[in-house]
Amino acid sequence: MPLLPPRWRLLLVAIAALSLPILSGLAWLLLTGWFDQVHGLVPTGRLGPDNWRFLWEAVGGRPSVWIPLRNSLIFSGVVATVVVLASSMAAYAISRLSFPGRAAYLGLVLVLHAFPAVSLIIAIFFILRRLGLFDTLTGVILVKASLELPLGIWLMKGFFDYLSWEMEMAALVDGVSRWTLFWRIALPMVRPGLLALGTFALLSAWGEFILPFTLIVSNQNWLMSAYLQTFLGEAFTDFGMVAAVGLFYAVPVIVLFLLGQRYLLNIYGGGVKG
Amino acid sequence: MRRYAAPVIFLLPATCLIVAFFLAPVVTTLYLSLTDISVITFQNPQWVGMGNYATLLRDQFIGRIVLNTARYVVLTLLFNVGMGLVLALLSSSVHQRWGDQLRAVWLLPRILPPVVYVLIWQGLAREAPYGLIGTITGSSTSWITAAPWAVIVLANGLVGASFGMLIFTSAIRAIPADLFYASAVDGATTLQTVRRVVLPLLRWPIMFVTAYQTLSLLTSFEYILLLTDGGPGFYTTTVWSLHAYKLALSQYFGNVEFGLGAAMAAVLVVIGIVVSVAYLRIFNFRALVAEPKIEVN
Amino acid sequence: MKGIRVRLKGLAKHFGRVVALRTLDLDVRAGEMVAFLGPSGCGKTTTLLMIAGIYQPTAGEIYFGERRVEHLHPRDRDVGMVFQSYALYPHLTIFDNIAFPLTLKKIAPAEVARRVRQIADLLGIAHTLDRRPGQVSGGQQQRAALARALVKEPQVLLLDEPLSNLDAQIRVQARGEIRRLQQEIGVTSILVTHDQSEALAMADRVAVFSTGELQQFAPPDELYRRPANTFVARFVGYPPMNLLEGRYEPGAFVLDDLRIPVPPGHPAGRGWLGFRPEDATLDGDVPGRVTVAEALGRENLVTLRIGPAEVKVLVPQGRRPAPGTPARLGYRREHVHFFDASGRRVGA
Ligand SMILES: Nc1ncnc2c1ncn2[C@@H]1O[C@H](COP(=O)(O)OP(=O)(O)OP(=O)(O)O)[C@@H](O)[C@H]1O
Ligand SMILES: [Mg+2]
Repeated sequence: MPLLPPRWRLLLVAIAALSLPILSGLAWLLLTGWFDQVHGLVPTGRLGPDNWRFLWEAVGGRPSVWIPLRNSLIFSGVVATVVVLASSMAAYAISRLSFPGRAAYLGLVLVLHAFPAVSLIIAIFFILRRLGLFDTLTGVILVKASLELPLGIWLMKGFFDYLSWEMEMAALVDGVSRWTLFWRIALPMVRPGLLALGTFALLSAWGEFILPFTLIVSNQNWLMSAYLQTFLGEAFTDFGMVAAVGLFYAVPVIVLFLLGQRYLLNIYGGGVKG
Repeated sequence: MRRYAAPVIFLLPATCLIVAFFLAPVVTTLYLSLTDISVITFQNPQWVGMGNYATLLRDQFIGRIVLNTARYVVLTLLFNVGMGLVLALLSSSVHQRWGDQLRAVWLLPRILPPVVYVLIWQGLAREAPYGLIGTITGSSTSWITAAPWAVIVLANGLVGASFGMLIFTSAIRAIPADLFYASAVDGATTLQTVRRVVLPLLRWPIMFVTAYQTLSLLTSFEYILLLTDGGPGFYTTTVWSLHAYKLALSQYFGNVEFGLGAAMAAVLVVIGIVVSVAYLRIFNFRALVAEPKIEVN
Repeated sequence: MKGIRVRLKGLAKHFGRVVALRTLDLDVRAGEMVAFLGPSGCGKTTTLLMIAGIYQPTAGEIYFGERRVEHLHPRDRDVGMVFQSYALYPHLTIFDNIAFPLTLKKIAPAEVARRVRQIADLLGIAHTLDRRPGQVSGGQQQRAALARALVKEPQVLLLDEPLSNLDAQIRVQARGEIRRLQQEIGVTSILVTHDQSEALAMADRVAVFSTGELQQFAPPDELYRRPANTFVARFVGYPPMNLLEGRYEPGAFVLDDLRIPVPPGHPAGRGWLGFRPEDATLDGDVPGRVTVAEALGRENLVTLRIGPAEVKVLVPQGRRPAPGTPARLGYRREHVHFFDASGRRVGA
């Protein structure tokens, strides 16, 4: 679409105005996290490092923040790894190997990609109990990774489809098995896809709320989302500290977002959650 | 058999996970919905056939929940698609640098952890003099209590609009520049061009986004759960999926009724399957499965 | 190292309803260089890929020496292959590309390095070894691909249009290099090309294909002197052979109301008469009229209309008749080719 003529420059103002609610939300989080008292967006108190005392003391019967932090790091790291590996392996097979049922498998992946997985949460709760994985990190990790798989397979298939067939033929003639070919030739060549999917899965797992909220009870297994959520439910919320916790929890996301923005714009456009 | 060793190995991890946490749950949902399973009968549930569905139909609040769901889906959808369209049009008609910034800002709500996002809403919606909205309106109650639906639709909408925005933006980028020149030569104003050239060409993307988001809104309850928990008061903002979740899993009600919750979920699952199978027809599926050019594994 | 004999027996390949190769019988001697020559889409690449083990034959057998190999995985066949696109791995350096087949065999790194350097020296790409494929020229990429195919000292070397992406000058030079190297190491080689001069210049024997079928398998000069049928006659040689369709009567070939005298040994009834432009003259006794005269540099190519047909004649530089002038076509009797109605060669 061509640029608008100069007299439409007012649009920039419109754009700025549209972004205002989001930006003021972030500003509120920043200010409230650092000051004693904030009215609207105006700090009225002093700089309050006191908001950050959750870093060195357990607050209100909760475990120390470092426990959910560690859990969240493990959770997102493992989920992202599992999603990236399992998706690329399956996508490679669907894109490059010949076997009966290939089309059916891809059809299933496409259907699952559009299918709203949250509607399965009741059954998943039931199944995890049966598997003895209820209230374990392993359980939520497996569930979260599974729910991201259709998107991952679909995305990675798109990348593998563009690999040159002659290159794979050359590698086979050079003497590799399909397995070695996958690791040494195919995977390095879809690096952008791996990065995009990895970043996406990291972000998605880091923010995940419903699954750990439902499938984890003991506070030793809490993730950051559950830890933060306990503050929200309180009768007299100490907004200064909650905002500080929120900031603490959101900073990695913002950093990752700034690093991986280019990849992410693509993947979120590829159809993720509503 | 050795021939298929490779595909089997490659597909094994994904298949196990998909079977365990997609296919098995679908079957389990349908099965549970036909039993009277609850906290009391957890070990030994009885088969009740369509009993749960009959109970649902008789429930005096079910009408209210259906209405809430419709209101939630329709209003949020209107906001999402409309805002997505506005954002896509705005961001593609200014210099790329500004367009990218706008898109990045609007992607933030989606990328922020939902709990942090809701926390921000709660902070902004507080009563005067603390909350920004309260300060502006001078309201002495939290905006979430005063206008729960507005908050729910806006909170979901700010997250959801970016989806349409991204899809529409790439659709707009795909429009050949010649069309714009042609319409300029024909003497169309900018607004006429948007209406006569751009919008008709966005028909399919708009339908896609609408269909996709209808399905995910119908089943999503995360933000409602965090913002209002279905309140304030009695069922004010309880939607179908949230009610199903609470019936089956909420720790607050004494009697957890899996069977009844599963029946409600089963309705969503069936809708989900029907709609997502319909997607297969929209995608040009045959082109996606061209035969591999290597015949050995 | 010595190449191995490669035999194809009743080899066929179908892709669904598409017949890529009907049936092929071919016997390639150990150490020989054979060229597959044919128009686009006639199944040359398909045949190579079956020999390499990438495609499964629909029918038929492939022997390396006395060993049947159709059921073997490509890695167990000991072939090297150069692809038209070279198919170098873009994320690896030229060194790692060439070393790739060796690293798969668990050969000691020092030995790998020695062999890579040796083959790189031989091909003149030693100075590019630490660059990536994207950072070297097309000719160097082609040599790197050749080096990668040869470094593991395969029994069979398959070359799928290895020169078609090079510009004309490097191409002629690379022809000679590949041929020299192939003879030096004596690897059995199959070269796919649709450039006939390449096939004729490089190969010991040439297999000419038409759609899905082998037409003739013979040394280059025999293809040229004794084409087995009208397809080969038309396909090999430039400018192509003149082929007239008509009727044989004792001692003459009849084309409408024209009678062209022919030497003995010709078939009877309907058939084809062939002679090459360089074997035709303007000093004969078949009446015709010049339609075009093109200068080719060393010679001129004159197109004559005789009766219903057009005939090309190569004449020395000094002679360039104007279009429209009458001329009398002749040809060297000892270089005439007879074909029967089905296009098959008749006589010696
Ligand atoms: N994987 C495949 N699936 C279906 N048809 C194929 C496949 N590979 C080749 N074919 C068909 O088989 C025939 C022979 O193809 P092949 O690639 O062997 O031709 P070629 O002689 O190498 O041609 P070129 O000179 O253009 O490379 C063609 O009609 C082609 O379309
Ligand atoms: Mg070919």
